[in-house]
Amino acid sequence: MTVILLFAVYLTVLIGTIRIFNHTEFPVPSSQFAEELEEYLRQNLGFHDVLFQLKSRSDLMIGEKMIQGVYITDERLIEKQFSYQESNADPVNDFYQKYAIPTYLILVPSASEIYESTLPANALNTNQEKLIKAVYADTETGIRCVDAYHILSSLKDSYIYYRTDSHWTSYGAYYVYQSAIQKMGFTPVSYQNYVISHLSTDFRGDLYQKTLYDTVKSDVLDCYTYEKGSKITDVQMIFQNGTIRRRSDIYDKSALESEDMYRFYTGEPCQKMIIRTDLDNDKKLLLYKDDYADCMIPFLVQHYSEICVINLKQTGCEFQSVTDPSEYTQAMFLCSVRNWQDIFQ
Amino acid sequence: MQIASLTFVMLVLPALLLIYYLIPDKARQGFLVLSCFLLYSYGNPVRVLYPSAFLCYDYGTGLLLEKVRKNRIASTGIVCFSVLIQIASMSYIRNTAQENEFFPFGIAIYTLQGLGYLIGVYRRHHAPAVNFIELALYLLFFPSLFAGGLFSYTDFTKQKQNKHLNIISLSDGLSLFIRGLAEKVVLADTFGYIFRELQQIAPENMSMLTAWLTTIIFSMYLYFELLGYSEMARGLGRCFGYELPKNFSHPFFTPSMTAFMKSYNITLVLWFETNFRRLLFRKYSDKYAYHTGFILTWVFIGAWYGVRIKFILWGFLIGILLLNEKLFLEKIIKKQYIAGIVYTALTSQLLWVLFFSSNLTEAGIYWKAMFGFGNGILDQTGIYFLVSYIALILSGFYIATDLFRNITERMSVSDFGQKIMNFMPLFHGALLILCLASMLYDGQHEHLWLWM
Repeated sequence: MTVILLFAVYLTVLIGTIRIFNHTEFPVPSSQFAEELEEYLRQNLGFHDVLFQLKSRSDLMIGEKMIQGVYITDERLIEKQFSYQESNADPVNDFYQKYAIPTYLILVPSASEIYESTLPANALNTNQEKLIKAVYADTETGIRCVDAYHILSSLKDSYIYYRTDSHWTSYGAYYVYQSAIQKMGFTPVSYQNYVISHLSTDFRGDLYQKTLYDTVKSDVLDCYTYEKGSKITDVQMIFQNGTIRRRSDIYDKSALESEDMYRFYTGEPCQKMIIRTDLDNDKKLLLYKDDYADCMIPFLVQHYSEICVINLKQTGCEFQSVTDPSEYTQAMFLCSVRNWQDIFQ
Repeated sequence: MQIASLTFVMLVLPALLLIYYLIPDKARQGFLVLSCFLLYSYGNPVRVLYPSAFLCYDYGTGLLLEKVRKNRIASTGIVCFSVLIQIASMSYIRNTAQENEFFPFGIAIYTLQGLGYLIGVYRRHHAPAVNFIELALYLLFFPSLFAGGLFSYTDFTKQKQNKHLNIISLSDGLSLFIRGLAEKVVLADTFGYIFRELQQIAPENMSMLTAWLTTIIFSMYLYFELLGYSEMARGLGRCFGYELPKNFSHPFFTPSMTAFMKSYNITLVLWFETNFRRLLFRKYSDKYAYHTGFILTWVFIGAWYGVRIKFILWGFLIGILLLNEKLFLEKIIKKQYIAGIVYTALTSQLLWVLFFSSNLTEAGIYWKAMFGFGNGILDQTGIYFLVSYIALILSGFYIATDLFRNITERMSVSDFGQKIMNFMPLFHGALLILCLASMLYDGQHEHLWLWM
C-alpha cells in the first residue's frame, strides 16, 4: 500500500516534470552538471507552483512573516534588507580627487525603508536613512548629493515602488530626476509633457517570482515618452566578454514577453552602454549605476548628447578602469543602498 | 551525491531500487558497491581518490594483521600506526579543505568505521574481510556516509546471512526514509535558515531572549539534521536489506545529562566506548585511571565533531558533568524528575553555544547574554523571531520528545487505533509531497557534511 501510494506521488510529479521538460532547456553535462541538474529540477519540478505555494502558504499560516527573504504584507512584497555593515563614500571621493569633473551622488533607499511602518512588527530592517546620511556626510566638498530619501518618503502615498518587484517605478524615478537634473544645471522636462503608456498592467516582478505570492495586486509597467524631446540615434552595448551589440533604442520590447519585464528599460545587463542622441550640446554624462537607474535613463537622455552607462554590478570596485572619465563633462553615481553596500564593502 | 536532494529522491533512488530488486541476489552486493562509488564521485570524480586509497589501505592492513596475529608487538605497532595516520589525515583534510569541492565528504564517518574494523581485527572480534567488495560496501555504504550511524563490522557481516527483501521491508524502509527526509528538509532546513538569520545579529547586540532563541534553534537544527540523515540512512538500508542501528532516541527532556548523551548520537558514543575507553583503560581498576579514561573519551568525542578548542572544551565539560552525575548526583536525580529535566535542558543548551560560536570569546559573549548581562532581557528582534517561529519551535520540541512515538504506539494497540494506522500510507504520501515542496525553496539547503 505504502509503496503503491508513494509510487503514485512520485509518478505524478515525474510526469509533470517531463511535461515541462519539453518546453525548457535541459542542462547539458558539464563540470557543474550536478548543481545545474539540481537547480533545473528545483525550478522545473512537476506542479512546481502548486507545491511551492503549498509550502509557503502553510509557513505563513503557522506564523512566519517572510518567504525566501521577502516580507509579505497586505499591500506589497518587500525585500528584506539587513546588515550591520557601515558604508562610506570612498569610491566617489577617490573618483572625484582623480578626475575632478563635476560629480553627483544619488543613493536610493528601497521599499523596506520607505514603507517600514508596514513591515511586520519588530522585523529586522536596516535604517537606510541613517546610512545614506552617513555616506553623504563622508563625501568631499564639491561632490553634490541628491536627497532621494526625502523626495521619495514625501511621495509615500503615490505609486513610487512596485508592489511585486524590488525596484522603484518610473514615477518615483521621475521625481528624483527632477531634483537631480536641476542641481546639474538643466531645466527638467515637466511631467505634463510626457505621454505615459502602460506597457503591461499585469507585471509581476522579481519578488513575485521569488515567492509566488499572488494575493498582492500585480503591477503596472509604464513607459514615459516626450514627443518633442531629443531622439536616440545610437545605442552601443559592450558586454563583459568584449562583444559589442548595436541597437537603435534603449528599450528592449522582447523583455515584455519574459518573466523579467523590468529588463524592458535597458535590455540585457551589460558592462558598458553608450547612448547617443540627436542633441547637439556637447554635454556628456558618465553614469555609474546599478539596475535601479534603468528607469531613470530615459529621463536623462533628454539633456545629453552622449551618456556612458557603466554597470557597477558588473565592474565592482574596478569601475574606473572601464572607460576614460576625462572625456565627460559630468559624472553621476546612482545606486540603491543595498548595492552600494554589496559592491563597495 | 546528497541524499536529501531532488536529484537523488526524484531520479536516482527509484532507478536504484528498481535495478536492485530486478537483478539476481548474487549481483546485488556488487551493484550496491558500484552505485556507492558512482554516487560518491558524482559531480566530481576526483573526490573518490581519497576513500579508495583509504579502502585499499584498510583492506591490506586487515589481512596483514591476520598474518602477524601471533606477533603481538608487530600487530600493536601496525594498529597504532594506522590509527595515527588515519586520524592525522582526517583532521588535516577536515581542517584545510572544508570549502573545497574536492572535499571527500563523509570522511569523519568512514574513518571511524575503518578504524573500528582494524581494531576489531586486532582484538580478534572478527576475521578480516577477504572479499574486497564486502569491505568496500561496509566502509562506503552511501546512506550512512552523511551523518552515520556507525555500525560495527560484526553487525554488518551478520546481516548478510539473513537478508530479507520483500515488499513489506521495502515499504517500511521507504516510510522511514521519508520521515527522515521530512526531518531534514522540512524541519532541519527551516531551523537552519532561522539560525542563520539569527546569526546575522552580532552577539553583543543580543538580548537574553534572542541568545536563548539562538541556542534553542541551533540545537533543534543540529538534532534534526543529524536525526534526519540517520533515519534516511536506516530507511535506505532497510530498502536494500541492511538493518542499521538507531542513532538517536529522543534525547530532549531527559532527566539527566547521562540520559541525554546516551540517546544523542548513540552509535558515535558507543564507538568511542568500545574502541577507545574499553580498549585502553579496561586494564586499570584504579578509580582515577577510570575517571581519566572517561573524561578523555568525551574529549575525543568532542574532537571528532571538529578539531578545535571549543569542541574539545565541550567534550571535556560533558565528561566532567557525566562523571559528576555518576558519582554524586545519581540519587538526587532519581528523586527529582522535573528538576532533572530542567537541569539537563539548561545545561545542554548552554553547552551547545560552544558548537556554533566561532571561538571561545564569542561563546563568552553569548553566555553573558544568556544570563541576562547582554543587551537587556527582551528586544524587538527576539520578539519578532519568537512570534514568527513559535509554532515551528513547539512542533519541533514535540517531535523531538517521545510523546509522538508514544501516541503511534498506543494507537497500534487499540482497535480504533489500528484502523487509523491503516491510513499511515496516506500520511507518508502527504509527507513526501511536503518534502518535495520544501526542497523547492532556494538557498536553504546547507549541507552539514561540509564540516563532518
